[in-house]
Amino acid sequence: MTKNISYQEALANYKAVSDRPLPEVNYEGLLEKYHPDYFKDACVQLKIGANKGDICHIQLAEMLQTDARIDEADLAGAQVIETDILIIGGGGAGCAAALTAAETGARVLIATKLRLGDSNTVMAEGGVQVSIEKDDTPQQHYDDTLRSADRPVDKKLVAEMVMSAPDVIRWLIQQGMQFDLDEYGDLLTRKAGGTTAPRVVYFKDYTGLEMMRVLKEAVRSSEIEVLDYVPTVELLSDEDGHCTGAVLSSLEDNRYKLVKAKSVIIATGGIGRLHLNGFPTSNHFGATGDGLVLAYRLGAKLRDLDSFQYHPSGLAYPQHLSGTLITESVRSAGAYLLNAQGERFVDELQPRDKVAAAIMRECAEGRGVDAGNGIKGIWIDTPGLELNNPGIFDARFPKLIKIGKKSGLDPRKQPLLIYPTLHYQNGGVIIDKHGQTNIPGLYCVGEVSGGIHGRNRLMGNSLLEIISFGRRAGIHAAKYSPRKPFRKISIEHLSRLRRELMLADMPMDSKGPILFPAYAKFETDSDYSGLHKNKKSK
Amino acid sequence: MEKTLNQVLLHKNSRVGADYTLWKNGWGGQGLKNAMEHPADIISMIRDAGLLGLGGSGFPTHIKWQAIADQTNTEKYLICNGNEDEPGTFKDRVLLEETPFQVIEGATIAALACGINNVVFYINPNLKTCHEVMQSALAKWLTSEIHNHALQQGLNLKYTIVASSGHYIAGEETAAIESVEGKFPFPRGKEPRPTTSGVNGCPTLINNIETLCNAPHILRNGVQWYRDLGIGEANGTKIYCLSGDVLSPGVYELPMGTPLTELIFKYGQGMLVGKELKAVFTGGPSNTILTEKDLDVNLDFKSVSERRSSLGTGAMIVVSRGTGIVKRVAQYVDFFAAESCGQCPACKTGTYYMSQLLGEIDTGAGKKADLDSLVDLCNILPGGGRCHLLDGAVKVVDSSLYHFLDEYKEALSDDSN
Amino acid sequence: MNQTTETLINATINGKSISAPEYLSVIQALWHAGYPRIKSVGCLEGVCGTCRVLVRRKNSQNITTELGCQVLIEEGMQVNFLAFPTPAQQHYKLEDIRNSWEVQDNFHTIFPEAENCRHCGGCDASCPKGISVEKGVVLADKGRFKEAGDLFTECVLCDLCQSACPENIAPNHVGIFSRRVTAYLHIRPSNLINRLERLRKGELKVVI
Repeated sequence: MTKNISYQEALANYKAVSDRPLPEVNYEGLLEKYHPDYFKDACVQLKIGANKGDICHIQLAEMLQTDARIDEADLAGAQVIETDILIIGGGGAGCAAALTAAETGARVLIATKLRLGDSNTVMAEGGVQVSIEKDDTPQQHYDDTLRSADRPVDKKLVAEMVMSAPDVIRWLIQQGMQFDLDEYGDLLTRKAGGTTAPRVVYFKDYTGLEMMRVLKEAVRSSEIEVLDYVPTVELLSDEDGHCTGAVLSSLEDNRYKLVKAKSVIIATGGIGRLHLNGFPTSNHFGATGDGLVLAYRLGAKLRDLDSFQYHPSGLAYPQHLSGTLITESVRSAGAYLLNAQGERFVDELQPRDKVAAAIMRECAEGRGVDAGNGIKGIWIDTPGLELNNPGIFDARFPKLIKIGKKSGLDPRKQPLLIYPTLHYQNGGVIIDKHGQTNIPGLYCVGEVSGGIHGRNRLMGNSLLEIISFGRRAGIHAAKYSPRKPFRKISIEHLSRLRRELMLADMPMDSKGPILFPAYAKFETDSDYSGLHKNKKSK
Repeated sequence: MEKTLNQVLLHKNSRVGADYTLWKNGWGGQGLKNAMEHPADIISMIRDAGLLGLGGSGFPTHIKWQAIADQTNTEKYLICNGNEDEPGTFKDRVLLEETPFQVIEGATIAALACGINNVVFYINPNLKTCHEVMQSALAKWLTSEIHNHALQQGLNLKYTIVASSGHYIAGEETAAIESVEGKFPFPRGKEPRPTTSGVNGCPTLINNIETLCNAPHILRNGVQWYRDLGIGEANGTKIYCLSGDVLSPGVYELPMGTPLTELIFKYGQGMLVGKELKAVFTGGPSNTILTEKDLDVNLDFKSVSERRSSLGTGAMIVVSRGTGIVKRVAQYVDFFAAESCGQCPACKTGTYYMSQLLGEIDTGAGKKADLDSLVDLCNILPGGGRCHLLDGAVKVVDSSLYHFLDEYKEALSDDSN
Repeated sequence: MNQTTETLINATINGKSISAPEYLSVIQALWHAGYPRIKSVGCLEGVCGTCRVLVRRKNSQNITTELGCQVLIEEGMQVNFLAFPTPAQQHYKLEDIRNSWEVQDNFHTIFPEAENCRHCGGCDASCPKGISVEKGVVLADKGRFKEAGDLFTECVLCDLCQSACPENIAPNHVGIFSRRVTAYLHIRPSNLINRLERLRKGELKVVI
């Protein structure tokens, strides 16, 4: 790797200028050479399970092929809770599913390993895609999604999603969510990278926060039961291969709880905290891909396990904020990306994978900024944006100003250093338009599911997906769950898992799901919260 | 019981209620008469007698009085603090209800000494009888010969009775000023000091009812008499409020410095049948704990402080074996959390968090992490509020952790040391 | 910026003595020193409200309440994680408010304590986002819900103001109610409604 220019020097050379032309950019081979999805040895073939033989990111494969955390004996004396629908995960998708399921008359329990609302949803900034502008159509939305996906997707899912978008927004407004409006009361829209029309509706750069707090409030006021700090360690099955509930482990009293449910909806979100390929992440603390492991063990099929989105604009400096997201909307508004020499090097509104790869190329070829301690990146020209649109940061990007304030940097006065950050799981569990998996009784919605985004997601399609599919799954599960609960629940599927692992000569010593990143020291904790420190319950 | 009990403030000569004649025929008014003859000597007599603040501070009374006397304003205030809202303290209400003239006489002497012209009797609205009695007594006072004589001597005092808001915090000095001004009793913090700017911006003296009640007697019988009343180096008498698991709870005026064991076992007639003493919450719940080994302590400010505790208001809440200290402390901290005025997050959120932790531990749901947090809070919180409510809450928790850590540990749900 | 030597800061977090580089947040410092921390960790960027901490800086009488992921460690700092739950006090459904004339009446039924605000300023002092919380409560009490709600744009529902309120008002939920009611009753974007109509009539389809 060629040496980059030091932070101080690059900053000294920077000047805010209103117009910068884009030089010729060579996209040929950019992804293949620089995007982490293409790293040599990044992927392996899965050795067990429904996707045996398929390629999968090596760290993800390790996780999917772990042994379970529990044995049958661990369940002795566990409290049993019965409900109609168990929802695992308390983010946007989980809450949307819970609310519609409850509206449809079902008894609902949300089990979350942190608190209700602790999720990637709350951190989302950009907005929700919905084709409402005069010259825009759902067909265009659909076409943009497919083109950006750059590989086959489940077309029916995408079609369903784009057609449902206006109703999603209506539903969100009726839950009490605000959006930025023009002087006539119409929704304002902005363009996302890779789209042909502006169609992202938003609330400043706090869209996720606004959405999540409204949904949380709606859930708290409803009959939905919520259990906090109860990570799910295993799903429950029966002899016919149905999903019949889950095993929760309470961090409050260190005890297992068995939840018997007629349907289970997994909405556990992403995998950012696995720090794939050593990248920092924009994700929240609990994003460890638990749902993938749980579903896979039960026999669910997954797809696109080799592709992850690296958001181009993750804050690289200061260190304690590394990986923090700067919304794509800043680029939509016109901010440029500059290398250490102050030159543009990519069309900022290309799809994210291309932009991320371009940034990595600049840094690899010596045109990046070196901030010491292994930190590298390029500039996002926020002062240039402010110069062209005075006051835009106060009006549209208050969150970014706050983040800047905490680190002593004013984005209006100096450019911010960014580098791609692990942001989104493009693939996941295969579902139909109601979120149903190939396992009866098991639904997956949100980031944990796959088939919509191909190898590259558009800004605004994720917040759309979670509500669109969350709602449908909630309604479907409430309507079509079996009348009577399952009689005989078991963890029989673990025997099959262990047999497969042993026959494939896999190591049996690592356990999953991971639940929390290693640096939280969850497994080795001394006296505080943890799973079962004592095998015997007190 | 013999001569040491109820010698002065709660003597039958004092406990005449609103009966002016009875009071005057006893020893009523003599102190004020002496004071009016030598007004310039009052403060030095108070100093030499060693009168201390009996509302909890133990602070030398003469210092406060001198500071007010030194102010040159013509408008000054005296707030006679009868808010008394602390669990376990119930002496001021006895003085207000049964010895109103003693209170008025004491206040008048203080006003005379300090050049104060506005006397406010600041009484908790829940003490309805105290209000009624004081109003009746004050009405009589204002038509009495004592008052007339004072007027002729140029002592033109305005007396008012003001009901406090009834909040616990309204008993804090600067909060009382706010309350007298008709506002919510928010403690003001360090500046401006009441001495320079109190009620309506005027120098204001705030004294506890019991403190003021001692003045007439010091002026009546002199400094040496007062000093001789106390045991050892302590001076005067103290009204102790004994409550809890004793046979005879109540108010006992005894020589300052009476040993705790005497208060409990002689005057309080010992523990309720079959119960052993476990602990004593001294000075009420915003204070510290004494245990069996401290039963011999003399109940004066200095001796008690030598045992890592303080006398406070002189309230002694006795707790026997069979009472959970954790639960009791949890109740006290709940009280503080509810009474915090809200201005300082350190106090409101700090006491709230402590009460949550105590509640968890007390109900068997507490973990070692919770106990550690409690200990940690006792280190971080003190001094974080602008008044002492937070410090009081921390003190009692800290003291209970010092004396009864084992009890806390036993209540934990996880088996770690 | 090349740092060859890191300055190590000594602080006390939850009673434990920590030595960590100066550019770390309180949570990162704890992990750096090898201590476990699960509770009170969430988004790590200041929007989920879970990492509430009590902070006392060296030589200061002033104790503040902040978000731990946003607090950088300082020499001699003492930190304690405020890890207690704040259960929901209010339960209401927006659908029960039939029209915008009825909002204020509903508000006083749902938040009866709001009119008792004693103006102690504790909520303002404890808000890690610098929101004028008390003003929001006063505005909502007067029926000015849009204005009240606008003050709470940055609110992350950390509940610090809720535990700071001596009148048990739950000011943050007053703020969120104000926001929700504004959206529920007043946001009627014609561009969205037109699109919904066209879809309802079957005028737009997607060809796969």
